[in-house]
Amino acid sequence: MPDWIIVTTITAAYLLATLVIGVRARRSGEQNTLEEYVTGTRSLGLVLMFFIMGAEIFSAFAFLGGPGWSYSKGAPALYMLAYTALMASLGWLIAPRIHQMARRLGHMTQADLLADHFKSKGLAVFIGIISILGLVPYLTIQVVGTGLMFQFATDGRIPFWLGSLLATLIVTLYVYTSGLRGIGWTNFFQGVLMVAIAWVLGFAVANQLYGGITPMFQRIAEQAPQYLTIPGGGAPVPWAAFSSAILVSALGAWMWPHLFMRFYSAKSVRTLKKSLMLYPLFVYVMVPILIIGFAGILLYRDAPLQNPDTVLLDIVVKTAHFSPWLVGLMLSGALAAAMSTGANIAHSAATVAARDIIARLRPMHDASVLRLTRLLVVLISAAAYSLALLNPASLVTTLLGAYGAIVQLLPLTLATLFWPRATRSGAFAGLTCGTLVTLQFDFVWPPPYAINAGIWGLAVNIVVLLGVSVVTACLPTRSEQG
Amino acid sequence: MRASRGFYLVSTILQLICWVAMIWPGALLANRVEPLIWGLPFIFFWYIAWIFIMFLGLVVLYFVEHLNKGP
Repeated sequence: MPDWIIVTTITAAYLLATLVIGVRARRSGEQNTLEEYVTGTRSLGLVLMFFIMGAEIFSAFAFLGGPGWSYSKGAPALYMLAYTALMASLGWLIAPRIHQMARRLGHMTQADLLADHFKSKGLAVFIGIISILGLVPYLTIQVVGTGLMFQFATDGRIPFWLGSLLATLIVTLYVYTSGLRGIGWTNFFQGVLMVAIAWVLGFAVANQLYGGITPMFQRIAEQAPQYLTIPGGGAPVPWAAFSSAILVSALGAWMWPHLFMRFYSAKSVRTLKKSLMLYPLFVYVMVPILIIGFAGILLYRDAPLQNPDTVLLDIVVKTAHFSPWLVGLMLSGALAAAMSTGANIAHSAATVAARDIIARLRPMHDASVLRLTRLLVVLISAAAYSLALLNPASLVTTLLGAYGAIVQLLPLTLATLFWPRATRSGAFAGLTCGTLVTLQFDFVWPPPYAINAGIWGLAVNIVVLLGVSVVTACLPTRSEQG
Repeated sequence: MRASRGFYLVSTILQLICWVAMIWPGALLANRVEPLIWGLPFIFFWYIAWIFIMFLGLVVLYFVEHLNKGP
């Protein structure tokens, strides 16, 4: 049997299993409500919460860009390990309060919390728009990732358009039918799969190509030691950029709507805390993945890869001469990483577009919002697939710009939870100034001292939020809820 | 009854130490290759170790909070 048929068969089995799990997760009858579709009726237990958090944070980037960093730069790739772990502390600080307020007030999106607190429809629509501008390119990157993985692992027998179409169709189907519960059960399956496959591959690559992890790093230490410390080799990352990237990502990542909204789904504060407590252990999935990237440093020393992001695929599919069974497993694990994140993004983007933008501008019944949300899951997935085929150069720029604005929601969130004196004017002024400063340093001037643009934005945002709130504190727009 | 203020203070400080260790300037101290631990460069191991310390801190925090709350 030709190799690519074995690879494709294993992957087809994974895709089929995912589809069945996702579609069967649906609850029928009277539980077919917006709250069930968006939050799983706020009833998810520890296992689903833990795997949703892990699987949605580790995306296609985990198998592509992550090892790409450790191959092309070396130790600076550790920033991924650091920021994803540090997210747990911040989650512990904000998630229980967000969860409790949401249960009391019926929140389902981030804008529900912030716009209700600051009593501003404009804020909801603004958050909605930047969320869509960030989520759609982010989803497109997952779709591109699945197409690339398929194409690589089957030596082009499954072309880019077909591979990405298959993955997108399956995700769309189970997100459409089962909403968050479908995402929960598939993320459980996909999470287990990606963790297991990552570890198997990590050890297999180090053993096959270097005779183990210790000899591998000994050889890199002899021949290219600069890759094993900060600022790294290749295109080095200076300390200021490294540290501030960790800081801004650890602070800002929860502000992504698809992560933030999951705080609403836990069945209790205890469950939420337990899943955040265990979450750092999920982060270890990046250890074997980064090891695979490090393996590429010496392998491709004389003939560097055109695109460092394909280093894991290059090693597993071409250089290591693994059996097609292992290549098929690799493809399934990598697809699991991309699809588990993609499902969460499509679901959240549709919810945000329906509830925060359309339903705020034209109020409607929850049943209509549910129908609209499902329709938007299909439309947004189709849009992301089309964008993936066109692959416009502006994609990454849009994502970077929108993420710059999304991070700036953190001071507003903290003020909502912990500082009742914050005013609407303060919130608007802080968000606007913080976003402008970030965009300015991302796109116009280089940021001072190589410190991440988002950090400068956050600093300005906090100062303006505090200052303007204190000045306007006596006005009647002042919020009443703590 | 909730866990004491002193306990929360210690827990907060521990979490902050994790941030300092993994971001700056803690990670500066660990920026070397030798000794290899479990075959990994020292700075790689540093991050793995601090993630585990952070996890243990959260475990203690969770259990103390909920044991003190009673049934």
